[in-house]
Amino acid sequence: MAHARTGRTSSSGEVSSIGAGTRIRGRVTGEGDLVIGGHVEGDVAVRGDVTIADGARCTSNVEGHAVVVAGELSGDVAASGPVTIGATARLRGNVHGATISLEDGASFAGRIDCDFELPEGLGDGRSAPARRR
Amino acid sequence: MASTVIGAGITIEGEVTADEDVVVQGTIRGKLSARDAVTVESGAVVEADVTSGPVSCAGAITGNITSTDRVDLQSGAKVVGNVKATRITIADGAQFKGNVDMDV
Repeated sequence: MAHARTGRTSSSGEVSSIGAGTRIRGRVTGEGDLVIGGHVEGDVAVRGDVTIADGARCTSNVEGHAVVVAGELSGDVAASGPVTIGATARLRGNVHGATISLEDGASFAGRIDCDFELPEGLGDGRSAPARRR
Repeated sequence: MASTVIGAGITIEGEVTADEDVVVQGTIRGKLSARDAVTVESGAVVEADVTSGPVSCAGAITGNITSTDRVDLQSGAKVVGNVKATRITIADGAQFKGNVDMDV
């Protein structure tokens, strides 16, 4: 269910998948979309979309375009596109993305950092607690 | 139906351990252990020792291959390393440098 959301957005390259019975210790880098269903210990940095499926366990910093977290992740997320933290997610780490959605039921501990411009008149007069330099 | 596919643009540096089939189209550097079949497709680069079930290779493997089953080096394959398996085929057009151990 989690795959469907990003599967259509940028199917520019091929999809790589780490199956549920697979464990990776090391770095995963490159282009194309990546679906993780197994265990990954090590950083993940791809140009395409990253999906951490329900049942997956990752101890990684994740870099990608659109990132969907539906499994367990310890580490930071840095996305150039949208980040979805699904209902089945257990995420411990900081999240940076263009847009971020946190679904009901997700467990999340960390900081959310979203790039957006405040509307004029906001942000200068009063001290916005959400924005820190 | 392989459930682990390392796509053409992807590089893994480290250790891959799988209880299922693995298809490599990209690059793996480190170590690759699979309980089931490993398929190294044309264009793929594996710089790793491979321990697995049946191995089918049309890409490049640098490292020792230890298989509980058969190893098929297809045309276009480039393998540097020792191969240990119960059955081995090397197709016409495959490049291979190393020892073969068929456990006779």
